[in-house]
Amino acid sequence: MTSNKVAFVGAGATLLWVAIWAWLTREGGPVSELFFPSPGDVLDRLIMFWSRPYIGSTLMGHILSSLSIVLAGWVLGGIVGVPLGIAMAWWTRLKWIVFPIFQLIRPVPPLAWIPLTLLWIGIGDAARIFVVFIAALVPWVMNSMHAVYSVDKLLIDAGRTLGANDRKILTRIVIRSAIPTLLAGARIALGNAWTTLVAAELLAATAGLGYVALNASRMLDTDVLVVAMLLIGLLGVMLSALMGLAARMFAPWVKNDRNGG
Amino acid sequence: MRINFLNRTRSSDSSRLPLIYGAGSLLVLLILWTLSTSVLGWIDPMTLPSPAEVVARFGNLIVEPFSGSTLAGHVGASLYRWALGVGAAVLLGVPVGILFAWLPGFRAVFNPIFEVLRYIPPFAWVPIAILWFGASTATQAMVVFIAAFPACVINAQLGVQQVDPILVRAARVLGAGQGAMLRRVVVPVAAPAIFTGLRIAISNGWMALVGAELVVGKVGLGFLISQGQNNDSVSTIFVGIIAIGSLGVIIDTLLQRSETVLLPWRKPRAQRDG
Repeated sequence: MTSNKVAFVGAGATLLWVAIWAWLTREGGPVSELFFPSPGDVLDRLIMFWSRPYIGSTLMGHILSSLSIVLAGWVLGGIVGVPLGIAMAWWTRLKWIVFPIFQLIRPVPPLAWIPLTLLWIGIGDAARIFVVFIAALVPWVMNSMHAVYSVDKLLIDAGRTLGANDRKILTRIVIRSAIPTLLAGARIALGNAWTTLVAAELLAATAGLGYVALNASRMLDTDVLVVAMLLIGLLGVMLSALMGLAARMFAPWVKNDRNGG
Repeated sequence: MRINFLNRTRSSDSSRLPLIYGAGSLLVLLILWTLSTSVLGWIDPMTLPSPAEVVARFGNLIVEPFSGSTLAGHVGASLYRWALGVGAAVLLGVPVGILFAWLPGFRAVFNPIFEVLRYIPPFAWVPIAILWFGASTATQAMVVFIAAFPACVINAQLGVQQVDPILVRAARVLGAGQGAMLRRVVVPVAAPAIFTGLRIAISNGWMALVGAELVVGKVGLGFLISQGQNNDSVSTIFVGIIAIGSLGVIIDTLLQRSETVLLPWRKPRAQRDG
């Protein structure tokens, strides 16, 4: 099949799926709206949600609440993780000391820290930021470390032959050629952060899309629930696309992996 | 300052030095933890229990039921749900992935649905799973399934796409039908990628399970730590976290071992996220 034909079949199939969804959830149809809402209900709800508050805020308020916490945790993770990763690659001894602690923490899902955080800092933004921070930290550190390792050794030798000192080699050669891997790490970290935030909002939040979804589930508002789920997915895609854009801007010499996870 | 990382293959892989440093670092951490809690009492035991308390709590949880089950009961419940979800994801996901790669028409029709669903994080499915199935095993298994399914599909598809068309043509010339082609040519070539998908699916599923159990359920390791939180028992949370982390490591190690046994022809792994 040519790619044109695939796109055509894909578009047709999408329409077909939506039609099947609408048919199954029609009034008096086989699927009750308490089980799954119809596409029309979802759309109506989305428009209503935009202007009228649901459990405390309008849609924009919940979205901003989610996004601000994700960004806070992700940026904090980068501030700690990137220097730590680079330092671990630069000073082997530091890696020997820090890495075992890291290996100990890594297999624990970031979510498992939520109950501990709740006991230590209580329900609030800080608890969610901390959990997102933990989720983002691991990919930040690992990719920063591998970014330094992936630098072509020939470049470093060339730099040294041409008289660069260690500091110049680090700032002018290592960090620059490590940018693509650093950005890949940033993207994975952001994806992890977003996924973890949703879970954190199920457990400890007073606003945010995950909080909306859980409340909608308890109140049997399936239309709100589906709106929240779709928005969570959409925002995740947008964050990932933004990171792809950043990669093209800051490392235009690298061919982008379109399917980056 | 010398640039050490250039020598890393020589210095870190062969010598014992990293092991000594690592052990030392963990030991220092343990000593600091003990000193600040039980010896000097800087930290309130309600905030951070001492290592001895955690070990004692661990022994206690093995013998005495907490929130309805002993530790073994919680572990068993978690493993059961996880196996259900991952099993369903593999049984359904691998064939779907193979079909995606083998039949472009099939892919064109089902890919839109797959793409929409896979970008919704597994935890966002928890509320709807609760709505559909309540606080039951099915809720947890569904969340695990959602977390594990995309990795199975994507990696199976990737594996089949890696099959050299020349091999396929050669097999066809030699008289292989569609069935024989799939069994004898495609699956062996794609097996390492499928296995990678399995590993990712298994660890994604484990992560998602913990999340689902934290939100809803009456048994399981995630439930155990959320009960620890409700009862202000940090040591219970610690035992739960340690159990979740070590089970994850054990499962992954077993898989890595079995890969070398089951797929001795595999090439170096190319990893792919879900």
